[in-house]
Amino acid sequence: MSIRLDPNLLPSLLSSLQQADQNETTASEEVSTGRSVNQLSDNPAAAAALVGNTNQASEDDQYIQNAGTLQDKLQTADSALDSVVTALTRAVSLGTEGANGTLNPGDRQAIAGEVQGLITQTLSLANTTYQGTYLFSGTAVNTQPFVQNAATGAVTYAGNTDTTSVELSNGNSVSVNLPGSQIFQNAAGSAFQSLQDLNTALLAGNTAAIGTAVTEVQSALTQVSANQVFYGNGLSQISSTETFLNQDKLNLSTQANTLVGVDPATAASDFSESQTAQQSLLDATAKVLSLPTLFNYLAP
Amino acid sequence: MGGLTGALNISLGSLQVDEDAIATSANNVANADTPGYSRQIANLAETAPITIGNIQFGTGVTLQSVTSTRDSILDLRVNQETQLQGQLNAFISDGQQIQSLFNETGGTGLQAPLTAFFTSLSQLSANPSDTNTRQGVLTAADNLATAFNQTSANLSSLQSTTNLGVTQTVSQINTLTTQLATLNTQIASSTGAGQNPGPLVDQRQLLLNQLSNLVDVSEINAGNGNITLTTSAGAPLVVGGQSFALTTQVNATTGQQDVYSQGTDITTQIASGQLAGQIQIRDQEIPALQNSLDTLAFNFANAVNTQNAAGFDLNGNAGGNFFTPPATVAGAAAGLSVAITDPTLIAASQDGQSGDNANANALLALQNQNIVSGQTPLNYYSGIVFKIGNDVSSAQASEQSGSAVLQQIQNLQGGVSDVDQNEEAGKLVQFQSAYEASAEVATTVNTLLQDTINIIAL
Repeated sequence: MSIRLDPNLLPSLLSSLQQADQNETTASEEVSTGRSVNQLSDNPAAAAALVGNTNQASEDDQYIQNAGTLQDKLQTADSALDSVVTALTRAVSLGTEGANGTLNPGDRQAIAGEVQGLITQTLSLANTTYQGTYLFSGTAVNTQPFVQNAATGAVTYAGNTDTTSVELSNGNSVSVNLPGSQIFQNAAGSAFQSLQDLNTALLAGNTAAIGTAVTEVQSALTQVSANQVFYGNGLSQISSTETFLNQDKLNLSTQANTLVGVDPATAASDFSESQTAQQSLLDATAKVLSLPTLFNYLAP
Repeated sequence: MGGLTGALNISLGSLQVDEDAIATSANNVANADTPGYSRQIANLAETAPITIGNIQFGTGVTLQSVTSTRDSILDLRVNQETQLQGQLNAFISDGQQIQSLFNETGGTGLQAPLTAFFTSLSQLSANPSDTNTRQGVLTAADNLATAFNQTSANLSSLQSTTNLGVTQTVSQINTLTTQLATLNTQIASSTGAGQNPGPLVDQRQLLLNQLSNLVDVSEINAGNGNITLTTSAGAPLVVGGQSFALTTQVNATTGQQDVYSQGTDITTQIASGQLAGQIQIRDQEIPALQNSLDTLAFNFANAVNTQNAAGFDLNGNAGGNFFTPPATVAGAAAGLSVAITDPTLIAASQDGQSGDNANANALLALQNQNIVSGQTPLNYYSGIVFKIGNDVSSAQASEQSGSAVLQQIQNLQGGVSDVDQNEEAGKLVQFQSAYEASAEVATTVNTLLQDTINIIAL
């Protein structure tokens, strides 16, 4: 005698139907959210990896935003120093002109006047601000770095020698300032002092002193130019990091898609397959449940 | 006996038995969809023969008994699987609510506020003296503290819901064991009186299956139709006609309802069933998550505080606490709050100057330092996300395979006990013709008797 089968098919059929419903719900969720992982339990490892991925993408966004701010700031400093270089170059040629023995005192005074103007201009450039804070005062950004004594005309440095660096991307920082003392001051004095010396020598008509002062200005010019390179380097570092960050964001988004995303075409076809499967299962269930039994064939 | 009267008696007896057999089939058809019903069989037997001279004559048919068809081994297997399913379903249902609190794929959870806090510090590093940027850091810190508070509160509230569930399950268990004890008594007396206890056993089996869904019940056949029910660890539930109610009592330490049997705390001994799943969520899963959250909040807040105190604020003063320092790990997430409201008090500077960002950089660097149990804050958090997701996912996998096994055993059980309409229709036709034949025999014998009487009368 063969083993007696369960004559009650309903529980098995219902459980198959439930499974089909579940598949359809999952498929429709994938289509509507565009993700294959909608609950942590769908893929715990992918969900955990997504935490790091999303974090990194947000960090990259912030880094890119920071890069914009820093570029502005460094460009302001860079162009200020550019103007200082122009001013000092002008001073050197004025000094060379003033050292010419054929000039009369009136001419030298006129030249000295222009040099005086360059002093004011350079001083103002050395006190450049960006969004209300001084660029060349070290970290003492609310202190005016170069102050001129009204009586003596001597310029002193009031900032500090601290520098700051900002992270551009993970583990990659850029220095964003140089203290004004490093840019404008040297063993012999300062850029301002050299200009003042030139001014004094011109007024005195002392060609030897003019020559010495020109040498001083020349060396101040070299120093400013050398330090200006720092800002150029910073800007190029920022710009290449920005390129890296944008690429990284792209990679992260691809990775996130691999982790939890779903291919729209696949999801759509999965969904329609699950619907077809559920439909045919319903058909089959209805037919099986309405199958006649022997009772239907007994004579009335 | 023999002879015509004997034949008449045999056919009359046969008519009676056929009627009973038809009634049995009718009862089977009527109860085909009754939960717990197992089909009954009319057991027919020959009656004892009589010997006349050296010849034996059969004396007809008798209905020996009507028995219910059950396979007690399959019943037991169904109950065992039901216990596991009960536990897993309770765990999954609560676990799904827990995992939705950390659903990073849906954008809820702590990753976003945690990241936002650090990106606000990154912004501060680029612009350390800007008040708006500083305010941004405070706002991000407030949001993070609130996220910790809410997640912790949501976990606590799920825990109290589960705690309520435990007491409800215990009360359902008690209702069932009371009913089972009553049935035990009825079955014993019915068996004693020589009756078919099948219908009562059906009822008991149905209740036992419901009980199995709730608790890890272990079944011992106590003889005389009685079963003794205990938990798998041996706490008595039903012994003979007596049921032993489980009770609940608040645990002074945890504040949760512990389960007691006869004065003994059996909370940790419940091995399966819905009650075990609820206890597992309430006493293990949620406390473990709370502890992880607390550990994260505690270490994170302390590290930020230490670093903030190492720097100088915008006014050039030494930094103080950024977050209100949590007293203990326990409760750190629920109580996390930002200690400062003045944005100038964020210590971004290391040299005391407003343009310095060295301490802001150091605060930012905390995100990559192993400050929480040897991990970075975010890695530690993603560990939490993985744990809850993985726990639910493992339970779901076990539930699915268990459910297939249960379905399989239930199919086998149905094969033994369920009513087959075709079979009953067949039996009906069979006994109908048997009845008709017996009636025909009786008529024939009757005619013969009439003939005999008529011969004598002549």
